[in-house]
Amino acid sequence: MRLTTEEQAMLDGEKGRLVQTAMENIVRYGQVLGAQELCKITKATVFCGAHHYLEVCDSEDFHEVFTRLNLARDEVIPFDRTSPECYIQSCVAACDQFVYEPLNQTEEFFKKNQYYVEEARKAGVTVVGSCSPYLTGWIPVRGEHFVTTESGVTILGNSLWGACCNSDGIEAAFWSSICGRTPKWGYHVQENRHATHLVHVEAPLDSPIEWELLGKAMGMRLPVTVCTPVIVGDFKEVDFVKLKSFFTALAITTNCRMCHIVGITPEAGTVEMAFGGHEVEDEFVITQEDIENAYQPLCDKTEGKVDLVSLGCPHYDIHQIKKTADYLKGKKVHPGVNLMVWTVYPVKAMADLNGYTRIIEEAGGRIYTSTCPVTVGETLLKDYPSQVYDSLKQSGSVRSLPLEQNVYYTDMYRAMEAALTGQWKEEYRWKK
Amino acid sequence: MEKIILRGRGVLPGIVEGTALVCPKGITGWGGIDPKTGEIQDWDNPNKGRTIQNTILVMPGSKGSNGWSCYFGAARAAGCAPKGWLFSAIDSSAAVASAVMQIPTIVDFDKDEDPCSRIENGDYVRMDGTTGVVEVTKSSQRQ
Repeated sequence: MRLTTEEQAMLDGEKGRLVQTAMENIVRYGQVLGAQELCKITKATVFCGAHHYLEVCDSEDFHEVFTRLNLARDEVIPFDRTSPECYIQSCVAACDQFVYEPLNQTEEFFKKNQYYVEEARKAGVTVVGSCSPYLTGWIPVRGEHFVTTESGVTILGNSLWGACCNSDGIEAAFWSSICGRTPKWGYHVQENRHATHLVHVEAPLDSPIEWELLGKAMGMRLPVTVCTPVIVGDFKEVDFVKLKSFFTALAITTNCRMCHIVGITPEAGTVEMAFGGHEVEDEFVITQEDIENAYQPLCDKTEGKVDLVSLGCPHYDIHQIKKTADYLKGKKVHPGVNLMVWTVYPVKAMADLNGYTRIIEEAGGRIYTSTCPVTVGETLLKDYPSQVYDSLKQSGSVRSLPLEQNVYYTDMYRAMEAALTGQWKEEYRWKK
Repeated sequence: MEKIILRGRGVLPGIVEGTALVCPKGITGWGGIDPKTGEIQDWDNPNKGRTIQNTILVMPGSKGSNGWSCYFGAARAAGCAPKGWLFSAIDSSAAVASAVMQIPTIVDFDKDEDPCSRIENGDYVRMDGTTGVVEVTKSSQRQ
């Protein structure tokens, strides 16, 4: 691998043990890939907080846990700096920014999470606590190299913004944030960004949930290996919420990390442009029936009482919160139902400013920040036998937990109806 | 006993041998294994309940979210790593996981030497992470 003088100096330890270790790991990562050189990273999101998988390291010291799990070293290397040239935000943490009791967490765990997040902040990470870093201005532009721990943001950044990112991982996002480099490989190389699979979408797509289901339907047809589909169809009234829903669903149901949309994404003005002269490895059609078939296994069929309704995965933007408040205004959530709305702190502040928070709270709901149900995990979810989500990702992830609840997935309005009536009814299932 | 030789690209050095655990559809990283035991938890994985610890783990590549590597890294920290692993074709998540695990790693096999189809659970595997040579002794009693 060819390293620049600056990169070699980092590898030689001239910027300290932390930077050296990050560079050693990045170089090893690049060697496994077969990369010839590295590229500069200018935006990153990193996974901070006392996440449950870190508990395998039985230590009170954040830096020991960080070193063993994120740097993969058995010594203790303090995480005390990041690359000054890189704009780094934190992804969701294991707790809400402010409260722990409503999430059934202990004060001890909440303080541990705060300690973990604070140490990352001191190292140069801006504490945001969102899976949706673009809500706070983190938007890489075309050709900009970035890393993220969020699969949906990888695919959104590659596809919609034309920025460059691979799905690498939580550890690698920290390494890149520290040394400012990633292997120049995969989607960081222009020649690799062409389409491989052609998907004709015949199903009419209107609401965000229908775009999510397109992601799932494609996941049922695409290979398990990395591929780059291009979708073509008569798409109407496409907006960012629909696209973030689609890319998030596609990211968790496939190994795709880039998906062109003809006429919408910048590297796919036409089908031919998307393929760039490369062969079409496979081609198929997604019909309305495919969308409906994708939905059926995602939503339980049992009717009955509802205990939890969760809105906002990915985190809601202010307009989605406004729509929630508009719908709930003057209504009351059924007693015994916990209505949770998830976003990022600055959006919550805007919701406060605009009176949306008050309306949602008067209806009996509450806005939370910095995390989400599945990230909080079983501690929260075990007490709710019947749960409704307006997100394919959230509902699918909850299904993977070793719990036995009813899990329902529908659009935001039907989900709110379930919160208001306290019942899951057949009519709340999504249908065209 | 029948022996076969497969050749891939050796990317992390070391010679190890052990019993193969083959997951032709991969393992979901985030939530797919219990890092404290190395046990596979994927609900639709035929190897559900088996541990990756001390095996030669064979997979096509990574699967699922960007959080793939960290569960394997956590298994490493808990002392539950495989002895070595083979990937049919490398991808970025699997490469990060390899850099974290620091175990002998061989990747990028020709299609007719795909370890996911040529190796089965219970086969005895000796792998050289420098040369990329994989020696497989077929098991007469497959698990």
